[in-house]
Amino acid sequence: MTPEQITLVQSSFERLGPDLPAVTARFYQELFQRDPALRPLFTTDMAEQRVKFAQKLTEIVRAMPQLGELLTHTRALGARHAGYGVRAADYQTVGDALIAALAAVLGEEFDAQTREAWVLAFNIVAETMLEGAAAARPIGS
Amino acid sequence: MTLPRWPIVGRRPELEVFERALGSGERAGLAIYGRAGVGKTRLADECAGQAAASGHPTQRVAGSRTTALLPLGAVASLLPDGPGPLGPDGQVNAVALFEQTRQALHDRHRGHRLVTVADDMALLDAASLALLGYLAAQRAIFLIATVRTGEPVPDLLTDLWRDGWLERIDLHDLSRAHVDTLLHLALGGPIEAGAGQELWEASRGNPLYVHELVLGALQSGALVDRSGVWHLEDHLPASSRLLDLVEQRIGGLPAEARSVVELLALCQPVELGYLETAAPAGVLESLERAGLVTITVADGQVRLAHPLHAKVVRAAMPKLRARAVLLAQAERLAAAGAAPGPSELRIAVWRLDAGAQPDPAVLLRGAHLARAAHDFRTVRRLVEAVPSEQLDAAGALLLGEALYELGAFDASEQVLAAGQGLPSNEHITLRLAVTRAKNAQWGLCQPEKALAINAAARAVVTSAQLREELVADEASVLTFSGHPNRALAVLGQITGTDQRTRVVRAIAGAIALATAGQTAEAAALARAGHADHLALGDEPAIAHPAMHVVNEVFALTEAGRLAEAEQLARAGAEIVASQRVAIAQIWFAVNLGRVAILQGRVVTARRFYAEAAGLAQSSRFAGSRRVALSGLAMAHAMLGEPDAAAQALAERAAAPAFGFLGPEQHLADAWAATAARRPAEAAEVFRSAAAEAASTGHQLSESWLLHDLMRTTGEDVSGRLRELAGACDSPLVSARARHAAAARARDAGELAGAADDFEALGAMLLAAEAAAGAAAAFGGAGDRRAATASLRRSSALAGACEGAATPGLFHLPTVKAAAAAPLSGREREIVLLAATGMASKDIAERLYLSVRTVNNHLQHAYAKLGVTSRAGLAQALGSAI
Repeated sequence: MTPEQITLVQSSFERLGPDLPAVTARFYQELFQRDPALRPLFTTDMAEQRVKFAQKLTEIVRAMPQLGELLTHTRALGARHAGYGVRAADYQTVGDALIAALAAVLGEEFDAQTREAWVLAFNIVAETMLEGAAAARPIGS
Repeated sequence: MTLPRWPIVGRRPELEVFERALGSGERAGLAIYGRAGVGKTRLADECAGQAAASGHPTQRVAGSRTTALLPLGAVASLLPDGPGPLGPDGQVNAVALFEQTRQALHDRHRGHRLVTVADDMALLDAASLALLGYLAAQRAIFLIATVRTGEPVPDLLTDLWRDGWLERIDLHDLSRAHVDTLLHLALGGPIEAGAGQELWEASRGNPLYVHELVLGALQSGALVDRSGVWHLEDHLPASSRLLDLVEQRIGGLPAEARSVVELLALCQPVELGYLETAAPAGVLESLERAGLVTITVADGQVRLAHPLHAKVVRAAMPKLRARAVLLAQAERLAAAGAAPGPSELRIAVWRLDAGAQPDPAVLLRGAHLARAAHDFRTVRRLVEAVPSEQLDAAGALLLGEALYELGAFDASEQVLAAGQGLPSNEHITLRLAVTRAKNAQWGLCQPEKALAINAAARAVVTSAQLREELVADEASVLTFSGHPNRALAVLGQITGTDQRTRVVRAIAGAIALATAGQTAEAAALARAGHADHLALGDEPAIAHPAMHVVNEVFALTEAGRLAEAEQLARAGAEIVASQRVAIAQIWFAVNLGRVAILQGRVVTARRFYAEAAGLAQSSRFAGSRRVALSGLAMAHAMLGEPDAAAQALAERAAAPAFGFLGPEQHLADAWAATAARRPAEAAEVFRSAAAEAASTGHQLSESWLLHDLMRTTGEDVSGRLRELAGACDSPLVSARARHAAAARARDAGELAGAADDFEALGAMLLAAEAAAGAAAAFGGAGDRRAATASLRRSSALAGACEGAATPGLFHLPTVKAAAAAPLSGREREIVLLAATGMASKDIAERLYLSVRTVNNHLQHAYAKLGVTSRAGLAQALGSAI
């Protein structure tokens, strides 16, 4: 990522402010619409789930400029998700849903550069989460 | 500056494919395909790393120009200690060695599959591939193979893939987002936009490019970290070639680092412990940091990070320096007390690579293994590297056989004759004699010499069982030199039921029996011989097991079971093509040509015979080439290509005489004469060849020759064909006899019956000709309706004959021209009647027309068909009746 892209991700996220819950609500809506089979993976109360998601997203966006700090978050998060049976293909769906949710809430402010920066940021997060997931999952034989 | 380990990006779905494949237990392996630098090696290593993290044992084998020098050189690390089990006659038994390896791996890893990375499959020798295939199929290893796009895919992988045992991944270049992610993770932070763009444009998504560009730019100081952001302060190398990039990086290494890299390029993997003492402190670390070497913690081995690195270093190394390094390493390993087995193999490989003399015992063992993998070039290279005074009789046998297989027949004769003079046991002596006789028969085309070699060996043999084998072998020479009746008499002397004798007996017996007309017994013997041969294993001094399948195809063809013969031959041809067994490839092609000729698919026949002739030429089997060229000339002649037929016969004249299928070879001369409109010469050739067939016991060939004599000249052959039909069990001969008898009697109903018989056998050309004959007979008997119907049937059958233009299809040009030109219904009717040989007067009577009207119609038809007279029409019809 370029420093400008990191700034774009952070500034657009800060601009959400009170609209963050709207993004998370929209995210799950988009996600289940894209892949209804993901729904049963979420066993906890969805309201609680949305709050947790918003917290994690905030932590990760804030850690973006410090790769070391970011990796401690994403690898641990990935390891946890491995236990839920999440696979590489699901990350694509999650990324698409998140971008769609941001676009819906931010409207015109979510321009092409901002979208590109978010896509790249998500890609870094996804790759390192998957790395953490692989390390946490033994291969049976 | 400390970089994190070079990350892997964008390959998670592929890694999950691997996880599932390894976890399922169903798959035997995973093949990774892709262009150079796309990340095949890295993905394979990452897979192995994940497997290791989950507690699986892992191993890495890699082929190189060096390891390819000695069979199993690439997979030495998998082999158990010890020289491998020996067979009864001093031969290394590859199957037993493979099984011993499997057992040792099973014991060593307590039943866990060993995850084995085989990098760059195209560089592995045939024996290594065979061993990996065996171990993977037995589930002793899980194979991760990499194959570079554009390089040949080893049969091992195609076979595993076909059986559904292999998972396949095609790797592609990375997307822009993935390259940006890779840069971010590799550099540990953000990169200035222009630098990111330049790296993307230069690498075009190829991961090895990114790796080499970034590490090269770091090494040269072009890529620098300014306050947490990476900047490019100099241009990237201008070269667009990956090799150049690697060369530049290696070229920039300090001397002590370079010598470590050179050692690895020649001898990798090298033990970490040794390198730590051999190289100054810090050198290994800096190489690892620079992404040039990888250290596997599990087995403590060091390797170069990418095969391209090894290739570049080797290419740049002075020969003398490489030789010194290789010999020093061989010395070091030998001093450590190498036991027979893996380390001995590595020492031999290094010595060979250095151009030095390795232990002859190791060379011969390697030759045996190469032989088991049918890699005769390697056999020859290895045995020829043994000093001649150290070559024993078993070595001479190996070399003689390899020379025969490679078409060096004179050299083979020399080596085998010399080998017979060396001290050895009776087993080896016998095999030397049998191989030498085979070379004399098939290679030198000297059956008398082959019989003399056989007789000399029989004079001194003491073991009863070996004597029987020599008797069976004599029968083989007789069969394949054109004496099936003598062969059958000799086979009658055999009483033993030893497996090897049964196998040799089946090879000679199946062909002799089929030739003599006992096709059912012949097919059964070929099948039993094949089963026996598979149980016996692929031994030296004996034909390839596939030859039994060739024999069964021959027997089925002679039995008129054409569709079955074709199906079996196609399957067999595919198998021997993948194993590159030249002699079997030739004979499957010849037999496919024979089947096609009998089916009337003459263009197909021409193609198969031409293929057989080409294969025979490149493998130098002159006798086999002679048979193939005969078939080719016949196919040309039947297509109405007299010049091409003459050309094939001229080529054939350059080959020595070859007795096998001798009478049948004359079909070519007779058909070529027919196509060149020299019917008297054709008839004479048919007659004399049939007489030769009769005197040597070629009953099927005789029936073919006589039947074709009738087809081309109308000569009556019904009496002898009836006798042959009684003596043979083949419905093909019976149909020929029926056809001849019906033609003699001009019995339209019987001619139609013969057409039925031929059609049922799938012999469409013969059926079409018989139907045309029926039409003529019906016409002669005044049955106009039946005559027209038979002509229609004949034309329809001829439609399956790919443009055959034999005399028996005399009506075809007319019918074709009529179809093209708008003949009126009446004209067509009259022309077809005229084609059956009816005079105008008779036609006029049948149709209640005046002779003048008939002639008028005929004149009109001639004009449309492009002929000017009834004589011209006769010529256009090519009438033979």
